[in-house]
Amino acid sequence: MMGHTQWLFFMRIALSFLLASLAGEGICRLVKMPRITGYALAGILLGPLGLGWVDGEDLPDFRFLVELTLTLLLFELGVRVSLRWLKYNPWVIASSLLESGATFVAVFGVLMVMGFEAKNALSIAVIAMGTSPVIVLRMVTEMRAQGQVTQRLLVLCGLNTVYSVVCFYLIMGWFQGTFHGQWFMALFHSFYLLAGSLGMGLVLALSFKLLRRMFELSDEQSAPVLFGLLLLLQAFLVALELPVFLAPLLGGVLAKHFDPRPHLWPRHFGTAGSILTIILFMMTGSLLTRSEFMVGAGAAMIVVLVRFAAKGLGVLLLGPISGLNLRQSLVLGIVLIPMAEIPLVELMDMRTLYPQVGVRILPIVFSMMNVLEVLGPMAVQWGLIRSQEFQEKSS
Amino acid sequence: MTLPPFSSSRPLTLGVELELQLVNTYDYDLVDSTTDLLRLLKKKGKDWDVKPEITQGMVEMATGICTSHADVFGQLDEIRQGIVECADRLDIGVCGGGTHAFQHWSERRIYDTPRFDQLSSLYGYLAKQFTIFGQHVHVGCDNADEALILLHLLSGFIPHFIALSASSPFVQGNDTGFHSARLNSVFSFPLSGRAPLVETWDSFGEYFDSMMATGIVKSMKDFYWDIRPKPEYGTIEVRVMDTPLTVGKAAQIAAFIQSLARYLTLERPYSPQEKDYLVYTFNRFQACRFGYEGVYVSPRNHEHRSLSEEILDTLDKIESHAIALKADEACAALRREVLTARSDVDWLRRQHAQTKSLAEVVQRQCARWRA
Repeated sequence: MMGHTQWLFFMRIALSFLLASLAGEGICRLVKMPRITGYALAGILLGPLGLGWVDGEDLPDFRFLVELTLTLLLFELGVRVSLRWLKYNPWVIASSLLESGATFVAVFGVLMVMGFEAKNALSIAVIAMGTSPVIVLRMVTEMRAQGQVTQRLLVLCGLNTVYSVVCFYLIMGWFQGTFHGQWFMALFHSFYLLAGSLGMGLVLALSFKLLRRMFELSDEQSAPVLFGLLLLLQAFLVALELPVFLAPLLGGVLAKHFDPRPHLWPRHFGTAGSILTIILFMMTGSLLTRSEFMVGAGAAMIVVLVRFAAKGLGVLLLGPISGLNLRQSLVLGIVLIPMAEIPLVELMDMRTLYPQVGVRILPIVFSMMNVLEVLGPMAVQWGLIRSQEFQEKSS
Repeated sequence: MTLPPFSSSRPLTLGVELELQLVNTYDYDLVDSTTDLLRLLKKKGKDWDVKPEITQGMVEMATGICTSHADVFGQLDEIRQGIVECADRLDIGVCGGGTHAFQHWSERRIYDTPRFDQLSSLYGYLAKQFTIFGQHVHVGCDNADEALILLHLLSGFIPHFIALSASSPFVQGNDTGFHSARLNSVFSFPLSGRAPLVETWDSFGEYFDSMMATGIVKSMKDFYWDIRPKPEYGTIEVRVMDTPLTVGKAAQIAAFIQSLARYLTLERPYSPQEKDYLVYTFNRFQACRFGYEGVYVSPRNHEHRSLSEEILDTLDKIESHAIALKADEACAALRREVLTARSDVDWLRRQHAQTKSLAEVVQRQCARWRA
């Protein structure tokens, strides 16, 4: 039997979920804005900034679902990153390194000028590098987008997520080193996290290929199998204390590389994917407390602008030589705007592990995240319409 | 605009056009990347003739004027290589085949030019349904009257061309049971079919003028005939073929047409007459539906035989001409194919049986086009 408190919690979450999904539908039908902008707005409204129905306290209850969502989406994103393409067109890697590098340097620079400690500026700069896989994939799926801008958006998003997560763990290692003075352990730990993720990604890719061959799975049947496999991966990652985000992404990249056959299962993940996305957006909205927003919003806006300029300039410089025209390069800079929710769970841990750091950077990061969850999808929508890469719904 | 005068060209020279599919490398559906591909090709600075077609996701490549099978193959292969290189840089796949196996016509986007826009507004969904991929072969003719005679003599071999090139069994995600389902899309156009039987350019001009006067046509381009004269080039253009799965096969078919044209021009085994057309649509349907196993009815003696027998017989008749044109190896390859019944359609169906996935069939088509 369910206790009264549990029941209330259940009711609160159910209502929040329903409200968020309706907000998405409403905003989509009434003003033709992306559904996920609606989810994000609802998340903020339901969070501590608004009604306070959902807050950071709830996160542990949803941590599993949030991580599962990210696991599924990151694997899907990984499958869209073709190593063969990067070999044929190395300028794509170059433009990826340039846009991420420029973002890192620019954000770090502006935060230093604003008087942030180097350590904090570094953390924020590393997080700012990443483009949100959740927003990007949902928008591409929802608009059924295809074309060069879409293709590059997915690949650059996959790559800058990798850079961002890898650097994040290196920096965390560094914190540990300075905090506890155990340099060797800290470095070893970072190495363990990265190599372990790569290893698990490899295992995932190989087992997917093996299962697909042994059972001759068509794409329809491979969706549940893949789901099970990713769930198992998540369990192993938790047991091995590895980050949940790197392995599925690298696994996706390797899976596509080992088995270049078409992968159609994301279509079958569609509904599950959108449900989990709503939960994820409710959670990010719930993280931002009023006091944090007051402290962080101003700086966040500056960082958002600097980040946008750096990414835009990066892809604009190398866009044409990598095979885009000028307009596509400009649009690409805009659709890269959404910011990654990846380190969400890590940041929550940071709050408790390194409160001194947390108190300085979390207000900015959470403010940026929320602002860009509202604006990011709109930017992607605008960009994909501009580049004529979306498809009308045929009904 | 009136009918332009017929330029003279060197008899039996060839020009080959192939319409190609551009697909993504993710789920292998058609991808709107024509503009991007053409931009990259232009940067290569070669004088390759590559053009857009009616919808995004199609591209047409063409040779210059060729004299022999080797010439056609060399030019086609060079452009193929160039297109594949540019496609690799964009992470898209290129392949042959008369139809894309599972694309949906409603998702196609018209390539933005005044002519394509006008076609789209006139024909409505037919224009998007026209996302099909054909091989066109131009044959050079000395003068207009010769051209018209050759056109009508070649019309008797339309079933041969269809069966040899057929590569479109799959349409909109299903096996149609046809060998060339692509042509069904062409037949839905009001001005498709065959050219009227007139033997002089003057009388053809009269026909054209009266059609102009009805306001139905504005130029030769408005006729979607199986073979039509191209006065500007001084050629007749055979348009019934599906784009084969390889440029090798496309060059062989061009060589076959060239040898046949030489046979018909030099030996003139008979003169064209209206009666020849009694069996025309029946034979054409049989070839589209059943390929080599279709029934071929001889317009002269009304004998019924299988199309494969008829093709082998034709290959015998034109052998000396093929040798004279150095097209004999190409014709021998086609003969082997007819004897073993290993057509492109057969290959496509086998891939589908193996993989049970049309997306994988398209992936393999791309691999074949690249090899």
